[in-house]
Amino acid sequence: MISGSMNSCGETAAFFGPAVSVFLRRSIMDRIADFECTYDNAAGVSREIMESLDLTYPDAFFHAADIVKIAEAVRKKEGTAFCELPFDHVLEAESMGGIVKYGDGMTGPLAKEYLASDMKELLELPEIDFTRGRMKEVLSACGEIRRRGEQVVLDVCGPFTILNFLIDTTQVFKSLRKEPKLFAELSGKIGVQLLRYIKEAEKQGVQMISYADSVGSVKILGPKLAAQAVEDFTFCFVKQMLEQKRADTLILLCPKTTFALLGTGKAALEDYRLPGPMTYGEGCIAAIGKIDMAGQQCIKNIHYTLKDGVLKQVVLKSQSRG
Amino acid sequence: MNRSKEDLLQSLSRSVVEMEEKEITETAREYIDAGYPAFDGIMDGLADGMKKVSDLFDEEEYFVTDVLLCSDAMYAGLDVLKPHLEQDKDVSCRKKAVIGVVEGDTHDIGKNLVRIMLETGGFEMYDLGRDVPSDKFIDKVKETGADLLCMSTLMTTTMTGMKDVIDKLKADGIRDKVKVMIGGSPISQKYADKIGADGYSANAVEAVQLAKKLTEGNGHGER
Repeated sequence: MISGSMNSCGETAAFFGPAVSVFLRRSIMDRIADFECTYDNAAGVSREIMESLDLTYPDAFFHAADIVKIAEAVRKKEGTAFCELPFDHVLEAESMGGIVKYGDGMTGPLAKEYLASDMKELLELPEIDFTRGRMKEVLSACGEIRRRGEQVVLDVCGPFTILNFLIDTTQVFKSLRKEPKLFAELSGKIGVQLLRYIKEAEKQGVQMISYADSVGSVKILGPKLAAQAVEDFTFCFVKQMLEQKRADTLILLCPKTTFALLGTGKAALEDYRLPGPMTYGEGCIAAIGKIDMAGQQCIKNIHYTLKDGVLKQVVLKSQSRG
Repeated sequence: MNRSKEDLLQSLSRSVVEMEEKEITETAREYIDAGYPAFDGIMDGLADGMKKVSDLFDEEEYFVTDVLLCSDAMYAGLDVLKPHLEQDKDVSCRKKAVIGVVEGDTHDIGKNLVRIMLETGGFEMYDLGRDVPSDKFIDKVKETGADLLCMSTLMTTTMTGMKDVIDKLKADGIRDKVKVMIGGSPISQKYADKIGADGYSANAVEAVQLAKKLTEGNGHGER
């Protein structure tokens, strides 16, 4: 069972008293912008790549050596500066007991059925075991890619996305509205597992951690609940990611998360000057060890170029109380 | 003092908009106890409230989570009113619609929203859920004699599943018996035209208008 919880973060607005708090919250609510996402739709691996490597699905997804071959083939095909793992968004949920259907490979693994019908049941989720199953293989593959001298981006999903595979999303949204303490408790427990996951990835040499939670975006939650989600989870989680990470680990936020932090006044953008114009991916690699967190663009947007040679780093605001 | 029918209808409508499950149940009971017709309570109370919710959603005042909670209130009211419906109104004229997310895709937030909106728009909904195999869509259309088939997907890799369903409807000789509308992030009118769907909707509010337009005068045919 998942134990522990992330450190509590008080509401910044509450510091000013109830009336001002409401005003502040309302004023920041309107400022969370949405990032139009067209990249998270990519999941699974093309049949063409699997056939070219003479690998079969889903067997290949269970062997680190095959995962490495696929990741490198995808990187070469797309011409990116890094490999990206895992190939699906279900890994975290599966590792917490989620029931997965592997299908025919066209879309990659999917949630087969919901694990729970009640949010409270999910408080009993098991902790992630990093020594077995697909989780172990993906982490091993990360290590092998790094040993070959290549960069790998590990995509980590946030609690809304993970819960979407474990329970009807309707229940998640309702709990955020009706039982915010339950949501905060559950998302905090998931957060602890994600922090452990990131540590394990760092042990394998991973230096680039991408964090996204598109199911919990402002477009779906609306500005009020999106701001609440930042208060109840995202800010604390990102803060703890930064506190625990190694100096040479770069956190790559999904722009939806960046906008949520900016819109709630929890973060600001600062320029980091690169040697010259380059793609976003190349810029991020160049910034490893120099900055802690980026997030102006989706890492999957492989054609996005930093024409002026400036990478925007995301800096949490020091006045945000944790 | 007993409240008038108009007062009670307004209260039902307002309770939907304000997501008041408990209050709506009490109001619906009061409405039935006063002897007013359940059908009017549903259409002029609950559906009226959901129409306002739909407008608020369209104006980006309400979001997905708000609509879900409003629909909870609506269903709570419906639970009270529905058992009294068949005694005073024949509802067999409601259009039937089958809805689901195509095979290989589990993104169902948009689909759930469209289902709720269509339900409150007067459609009798058959929700197949997410990751639905093509044959299951066909079987349900045949079983229910649906007027409308709605499919959605968020992924480019599963879009082709929509065409598979339409091709199977043709192969089974029932394509002209059911209207097909599609939606989802990568879907466009161009894609709908390409695969032979009858319509495409960009959002849940437009979906209701499109569904009504497509099924106008489209009675339940014998299959």
